[in-house]
Amino acid sequence: MLRTTQANESTASPSGSIDVSRCEPGVSRRRFLASAAFVGGAGVLGTGCSPRLTGMEIGADGSFPEYLLAKPESCIYTTCLQCHVDCQVKAKHWEGVLAKLTGNPYSPQNYLPHLPYDTDLHKAAKADGKLCAKGQAGIQTYADPYRLRKVLKRAGPRGSNKWRTISFEQFIDEVVIGGRLFKDLGDNRHYPGFEEVYALRDRSVAKALAEDAGKVGKGQMSLAEFKRTHAAHLDKLIDPDRPDLGPKNNGFVFDAGRIEHGRKELMKWFTHDSFGSINAFEHTTICEQSHHIAFDEITGGATHHMKPDLTHCEFVLFWGTGAFTANFGLTPMSEKVTTGKVERGMKTAVVDPRLSNDAGKADWWLPVKPGADGALAFMFMRWMFERNRFDARYLSNANRAAADADGEPTFTNGVHLVVIENGRAARPLDAAQAGVGLRGQRVVMRNGAPVACDPDDASTAVEGDLFAEGAVNGLPVATPLALLRKEAFSRSWDEYEELTGISLAMLEPVAKELTSHGKRSAVELYRGPVQHTDGFYAGAAIITLNVLLGNADWKGGLSKGGGHWHEFGGKPGNVYNFASMHPAKMTTFGPRITREKARYEDFSYFREEGYPARRPWYPFTDNIYQEIIPSFAQGYPYPGQILFLHKGTPALSSPAGHKIIDMLRDPDRVPLFIACDIVIGETSMYADYIVPDLTYLERWGTPHVTPDVTSMTSKVRQPVATPLTDEVVVDGEPMPISLEAFLIAVGKKLGLPGFGADALGRGMRFDRAEDWFLKAVANLASGDKPGEAVPDASDEELRIFREARAFFPKSVFDEEKWRRAVKPELWRKVVYLLNRGGRFSPAESAYDGPYLKSRLGKMFHLFMEDVAAQRNSMSGEYFVGLPTYRGQFDAAGKPLDPEGAYPFALITHKESFGGHSRTISNYWSNIALQNENHIIMHKRDAQRLGLKAGQKARLVSASNRQGNVKINDAETVDIVAPVKPVEGIRPGVVALSWHYGHWAYGSRDVEVDGQRVKGDPRRAAGACPNPVMAVDPILNDVCLTDPVGGSSSFFDTRVAVQPA
Amino acid sequence: MIAHNSMQMLETNGRDVHLPVMNNAPPAPPGAGDGVDTTRRALLQRAIAGAGGLAALFGSGSLLTAEIARAEAASVLDGADGPPANHLERMLADLDRALQKPMEQRKWVMVIDLQKCTGCKACTVSCVAENNLPPGVVYRPVIEEEIGEFPNVRRRFIPRPCMQCDNPPCTPVCPVSATYKRPDGIVQIDYDVCIGCRYCIAACPYNARTADFGEYYNADTPEIMDYETRPNFEYGREWKREPGRHASPIGNARKCHFCLHRIENGMLPACVTTCLGGATYFGDYNDNNSLVHELVGSTRVMRLKEELGTEPKVYYLV
Repeated sequence: MLRTTQANESTASPSGSIDVSRCEPGVSRRRFLASAAFVGGAGVLGTGCSPRLTGMEIGADGSFPEYLLAKPESCIYTTCLQCHVDCQVKAKHWEGVLAKLTGNPYSPQNYLPHLPYDTDLHKAAKADGKLCAKGQAGIQTYADPYRLRKVLKRAGPRGSNKWRTISFEQFIDEVVIGGRLFKDLGDNRHYPGFEEVYALRDRSVAKALAEDAGKVGKGQMSLAEFKRTHAAHLDKLIDPDRPDLGPKNNGFVFDAGRIEHGRKELMKWFTHDSFGSINAFEHTTICEQSHHIAFDEITGGATHHMKPDLTHCEFVLFWGTGAFTANFGLTPMSEKVTTGKVERGMKTAVVDPRLSNDAGKADWWLPVKPGADGALAFMFMRWMFERNRFDARYLSNANRAAADADGEPTFTNGVHLVVIENGRAARPLDAAQAGVGLRGQRVVMRNGAPVACDPDDASTAVEGDLFAEGAVNGLPVATPLALLRKEAFSRSWDEYEELTGISLAMLEPVAKELTSHGKRSAVELYRGPVQHTDGFYAGAAIITLNVLLGNADWKGGLSKGGGHWHEFGGKPGNVYNFASMHPAKMTTFGPRITREKARYEDFSYFREEGYPARRPWYPFTDNIYQEIIPSFAQGYPYPGQILFLHKGTPALSSPAGHKIIDMLRDPDRVPLFIACDIVIGETSMYADYIVPDLTYLERWGTPHVTPDVTSMTSKVRQPVATPLTDEVVVDGEPMPISLEAFLIAVGKKLGLPGFGADALGRGMRFDRAEDWFLKAVANLASGDKPGEAVPDASDEELRIFREARAFFPKSVFDEEKWRRAVKPELWRKVVYLLNRGGRFSPAESAYDGPYLKSRLGKMFHLFMEDVAAQRNSMSGEYFVGLPTYRGQFDAAGKPLDPEGAYPFALITHKESFGGHSRTISNYWSNIALQNENHIIMHKRDAQRLGLKAGQKARLVSASNRQGNVKINDAETVDIVAPVKPVEGIRPGVVALSWHYGHWAYGSRDVEVDGQRVKGDPRRAAGACPNPVMAVDPILNDVCLTDPVGGSSSFFDTRVAVQPA
Repeated sequence: MIAHNSMQMLETNGRDVHLPVMNNAPPAPPGAGDGVDTTRRALLQRAIAGAGGLAALFGSGSLLTAEIARAEAASVLDGADGPPANHLERMLADLDRALQKPMEQRKWVMVIDLQKCTGCKACTVSCVAENNLPPGVVYRPVIEEEIGEFPNVRRRFIPRPCMQCDNPPCTPVCPVSATYKRPDGIVQIDYDVCIGCRYCIAACPYNARTADFGEYYNADTPEIMDYETRPNFEYGREWKREPGRHASPIGNARKCHFCLHRIENGMLPACVTTCLGGATYFGDYNDNNSLVHELVGSTRVMRLKEELGTEPKVYYLV
């Protein structure tokens, strides 16, 4: 039986007064409230105060007292989430107040090199690690006066900023049952609830439907036959005439912005496994997804991310990224570069149209024209091919045995012949077809003769001629290397300079350096080159430079990273295998609403409508964030019913994201909209309900490490601060309102398998967040291999563990409840790990002689066979299977209009102290360090336009001629910021950073329960560049998108700068 | 044909490995590299001789071999190719040694390597958080400069803490002797004595002092959150802030004190521990085994406004 009740009734006093509550023992805590309406009167503070450790007074002899924040009882180790670097944090508290965040010295990301794992907690408490400005200001993300404490329900039309607070229990009832939820506002619409959308509930029926619906989609079963077979269940489908679209359950869409491991698996547990909807998304395409897909395809699916081993690199070419402001990230990477440069003689070059901090400190700066990264990569290739500066011996290896013979951990398919058909590289030449071997084998040319080759063969070495081209058995063939060389030579140096803005003279010293350090040279890429419509191909071309160096898996080369232990199980040493724990896992089917990881040709729409599709289908990529809401609202491939937005703000953070505002405001297009947010945000402001979430400092998670770290690392996020959201009781369990409370409450109310009794396997309940997360922690503590468990916490460590958490309310830290979430023999191991914020292998374990210990060890695919095999759903043409440069294009594949009336290319960047969309509450950084952003342009451009430093100007573009955002019927936000003329930017380019230009997040007045809560105008300063970014001219409701990698285009917009 | 002669065989950890070089061009003309011993040991010896020596040894035609040598030289500098030394751990050990001496025998200094400063401003915010600084009070700003013209343009970042001068212009002007030079070199402010006249602020040539007007970042928001009212621990005491209560350090002059409360507890200053570029160093100059003593001996050393005779105890490496 589900029971949700409000706990912690209001203790706040009327507006403007001071509320005094007393903490034991004898410490007073005051709250300084200006407005009780917004915070909903929650009396959270003082629910538990830690005992005072000692007072701080100078001794009579002038000796200093012990520093309270230097004691291990004042520290809890957790994981940051001010950005996705997920640094390891030591959180220090003073009498229950979160006082200081620093780096965790046990972690390789924050202490270089990090402390041994068995280091005493007292010593570690005194050794602070590093943490960036953004990370340290995280206290203000948590302790934000605009945080939500109670559930809000809109009290006016969507986006009107009128709200009322309702109980958590009422909220759960309304969203589960649905109905005329806003009839008090004169709206007689029926709003669907979870009960209604949860149509298909029988997992065996789901399985049978899924199988046959897939056949209908592929044309392997007639619709009539399907209908006959499944007549009893057609009402469970979205469209009985297109059963391949899946069950009505797909109408629930979990749209997650920044969700990470731990919660990510919980999202899928709820959405896929329990509820049976296929629609659970992350936000990766507004970050750098095409870069991941490029790695994915070029490594044959082996990894989606590699980074230089910066500790031993001698030269690094940073491409559209760097080590000093963003990426993965400034905290772990900066010192490796600075120390490398000053103490090891390492050199760096940076490709970026703007003189970033990295470029400003680099040995060479290549200010490329935005969107010409692919061309610049081919310019490097031309130089390398022309001067024979690539690792020919490495590239000639055609199989495992050849690589082994040379001591090479990887090899490539660069010499495997491909068949040229209608002028394109269509597929690998098969050895049987070539008449030299067996079906499935590849073919290389060796001294002019074809030779069969099995890439995985570890016994017979096969090498191939690098640039072979010609015919085999009458089939035109060439090696991928020959084709790359051909493209590289297809443009003259002058043409390259015209395209890229980089002359041969500028390129040459960088290219020479890149090819002068053997394996200890690498090219690092991230957002810059890939958030374009050709992002995948530009990314692949840049990665190819690394392949030509043959640097993967070498110390000082390209690294796939040290990896992590497996918190969700599946390894022999793990205790809990989550994949097999679900008591009744549903089969999901139908395309995701974004049509990602799906071939258009496999669905009935293709048979009905052919090319072009109404909207693009994305066979290679996933998490296409910008497409979720437009697809939901347009009803293609099917309409959505319940949109659940979690920790994301696509209206602000997506290019042209403002286009979704009108969709969200229309309940006929987005029927029920629930947001889970820590504040009223730029997108959650349009929701029907906002359920308050916990910040990363109040909750659990198990984020993963990135490949910059070469030793094995597993991180844990755990509560370090008293939750600011109201405490509620869900089915007898007190807990703070949060994503977890919402999912558990809805799960139990609906009776979903996977929540409550026996939800995590026989005898294992799922009632509280700890039931889920501590099992994951226990897996880390036990390790992947039997016998590699961490030590037990000693009695002293157990004491420190308890004392450090004494300030928490019982709803957060109840040792009995934590303990019962894991097997008794694991508890002390869990404590040992939590006391260190994760599990970390020693720094020196990262290497094995001249190699990295954690190795890719795979074949690089310079020819990407599976890409070449698929067609673009909008044009019907095959995708190119090799890195290439074709410029930028719209959804129909038509080249983008050049400048026209818009003379500047717009680019964006992050400052070292800000996140994309959720650091404006961080007054220490986003207000005190810099209180607005600037339109950065070259001095000559500013002079030409008559714009002076500090003068306000507006950005306009072809798709946003007004240069503003209409946020509701009454209010408009201007894309206006002061001009900053500089030398450090390519003329013809303007840059505008993120972090600023908010129209919510506490920046404007809202009405709650009839009372006005004053916004903070400091939070509205500056401008957000995204609303002027190009709208795709074919689709008209979403930004330009890379059809292969799925990345949203941030850097293909032309703008004009007008005095405001 | 594959140019296999572009490989050099090296022995590393008992294994033969190839060190490939990105040059598949025909070998250098006879004579250029002939007769040169290219074994690892020989290469190392030459590399250590320096870049100029390399050119002389190999002549202009053997870029190839020179590059191998350079690669190996870097590895030697890297400390047997192991993980880099942890400067923070070394400085913590230096600090422990210093704390065992009487205060009068310590001389705290800071060294900032401008080549390593990335302009991230982690130090600025770390200092604000550590000392709970209100709006308008900043102990360690980072000054940014852009030098040159497109495309030959560079950026420079200069963190600027209190210089803890040996001849501080700020102390003699204090009418109540609230600010003074401690025997360990730190210029202290006694908040109990300071009357807030701000003479010292005007006197400092480095603009290192600011006034605490009792402001709050959360002013004019729904609530002043308790991270702003919790005490700081400057000079080993608890200094609590409360809206509406005028008590020190509100109304006082404020400035960097090298995190004296941390130093005395065996912790490095907050700006040092958080410096992302590893650019900031701290320690006892009276200990000639300390890292800072070593760094002050660098040919790159300079101090700000030395001509004023202030004898700053913050050194920059340029």
